[in-house]
Amino acid sequence: MTEDQRIDTVSSTHDAGAQPSIEHAASSAAEQSSSSVPTIEMRHVDKHFGDLHVLRDINLRVEKGEVLVVIGPSGSGKSTLIRTINRLETIDSGEILLEGKTLPLEGKELAALRSEVGMVFQSFNLFAHKTILENVTMGPIQVLGMPKKEAEEKAMELLKRVGVAEQAAKVPAQLSGGQQQRVAIARSLAMNPKAMLFDEPTSALDPEMINEVLEVMVELAQGGMTMIVVTHEMNFARRVANRVIFMADGQIVEEDTPANFFDNPKTDRARDFLDSIKGH
Amino acid sequence: MSANVTSMRDVLYEAPGPKMRRRIIIGTVISLIVVLIGLALIIRQFYVTGQLAPRYWELFLKPTTWAFLGRGFLGTIQVAVTAGAIALVLGMVLMLGRISKIAPLRVVSRIIIDFFRGVPSLLLIYFFFLVIPKYGIRMPSFWMLTLPVAFAASGVLAEVFRAGVNAVPKGQTEAAMSIGMTDGKIMSKIVLPQALKIVIPSLVSQLVVVVKDTTVAYVVSYPDLMQNARVLITNYDVLVSMYFVIAIIYILVNFGINQLSIWMARRSGTRIITRNTEDPI
Ligand SMILES: Nc1ncnc2c1ncn2[C@@H]1O[C@H](COP(=O)(O)OP(=O)(O)OP(=O)(O)O)[C@@H](O)[C@H]1O
Ligand SMILES: [Mg+2]
Repeated sequence: MTEDQRIDTVSSTHDAGAQPSIEHAASSAAEQSSSSVPTIEMRHVDKHFGDLHVLRDINLRVEKGEVLVVIGPSGSGKSTLIRTINRLETIDSGEILLEGKTLPLEGKELAALRSEVGMVFQSFNLFAHKTILENVTMGPIQVLGMPKKEAEEKAMELLKRVGVAEQAAKVPAQLSGGQQQRVAIARSLAMNPKAMLFDEPTSALDPEMINEVLEVMVELAQGGMTMIVVTHEMNFARRVANRVIFMADGQIVEEDTPANFFDNPKTDRARDFLDSIKGH
Repeated sequence: MSANVTSMRDVLYEAPGPKMRRRIIIGTVISLIVVLIGLALIIRQFYVTGQLAPRYWELFLKPTTWAFLGRGFLGTIQVAVTAGAIALVLGMVLMLGRISKIAPLRVVSRIIIDFFRGVPSLLLIYFFFLVIPKYGIRMPSFWMLTLPVAFAASGVLAEVFRAGVNAVPKGQTEAAMSIGMTDGKIMSKIVLPQALKIVIPSLVSQLVVVVKDTTVAYVVSYPDLMQNARVLITNYDVLVSMYFVIAIIYILVNFGINQLSIWMARRSGTRIITRNTEDPI
């Protein structure tokens, strides 16, 4: 499937007339809060894997309600970047702040922080031994101490919202990839996160399932969720991203609005990369 | 014995295709024939050496013989079940220590595990029987047998559990971390339930080892099946026939344990994907 086809499928399923106003709402939300504390901030972050310098002096601000798309070649450090934000990876130096507060290093404080930042993985990572419903209630019950009944009601609501409510009693292996990824999103949402991180959420999916997941993400973005999304889905980026950052060799090489970035990339590296993913 | 082998195969591998099924049938027939020939040879040898003489076998017609062996059997079961239970708990504790974030705890657990695994259980039993009483600690023979058998098994079980934990994909832990679960909850709610399902067959093989380990009870004169059989052997001079009978009993017990594992694996609905390579059987 080519990039153009994908743009068509996504935009055609949505009311085209509603688009500009939503984009406007999102960007004005970002502008309004730009004076206040950013939801996520990274300052001079460096990280090595052994000799490999995977993150080089990363500086980044993501405002409340903003959608940031991260793009870049394989091995450029995109996954590492977002994994440092909920400390699935440690950093060597620099600082990461959530709503102005430094990330706790360990223990209960760190766990509490992680519960406030949702994370959606490329490989879904649903709890294999639990039903779909239990996957979504796990966090609220075990972390927030919510009563089971209340957690289940809320979980069913979320499952309905992502369109997999009928699957609630099944186990993950019985669902398609697209359904599993939507459950994974619901599982994150059940924690009422302040921000959500997505690491190539659609790249493990068969083409026909990509859109059902992107739909859910578009709705989330339009609902004002603060999001950092590693993805090569340009149509998605164009529609909902406020900003795109382009990474290469552990550095942020370019940062711009989606329209500017995709239509007029400033660096040769970005241009070459865009040519390579736009298809042959 | 051949039934034992095929049932283990049932647990360890996925359902075979038609070709494989034919090969299994042929294999089963051949091994049955071999077993029958073996049995015939044994009986012939018994006959030749006069072991079939009634005086070696009439003992088994007396209810008192079976009552005595039955008491021994109960003794074996008591030791095996108690040792198995202790080994499961201790093995779990040792494994949790072995993967703990606290380095000294890790080192200590590792040393204990390697010690229990490395030392032959008979040596551990002698230690409990000969060394510990020297320090004034008196212990009933039940515990002098049960504890060393349990300790030896716990070392292996700790490694079995650890293999299971390592077999749970890392993404499961990361997903649990990302919703804010603490380490303890991640282990108890996410990792261990999946790890245990994976290692059920290895756990069962280890239970078989525990049953076999109890047969050295004579060292501490604990009246288990083997010890009681030995008493009868010396009193009635029935060596071959008695060993023949109790060997069959042990085989049946371990066959039962294997059947149990099949039932458990079916019930937990898992495909068994790993096999403990250090399985000492
Ligand atoms: N745990 C690790 N140990 C050692 N090196 C690692 C580890 N994780 C990632 N790396 C290396 O760090 C670099 C950046 O990896 P990262 O996964 O962040 O890249 P990426 O941009 O997400 O790539 P992709 O598009 O392939 O997902 C790569 O060279 C990778 O091989
Ligand atoms: Mg990646």
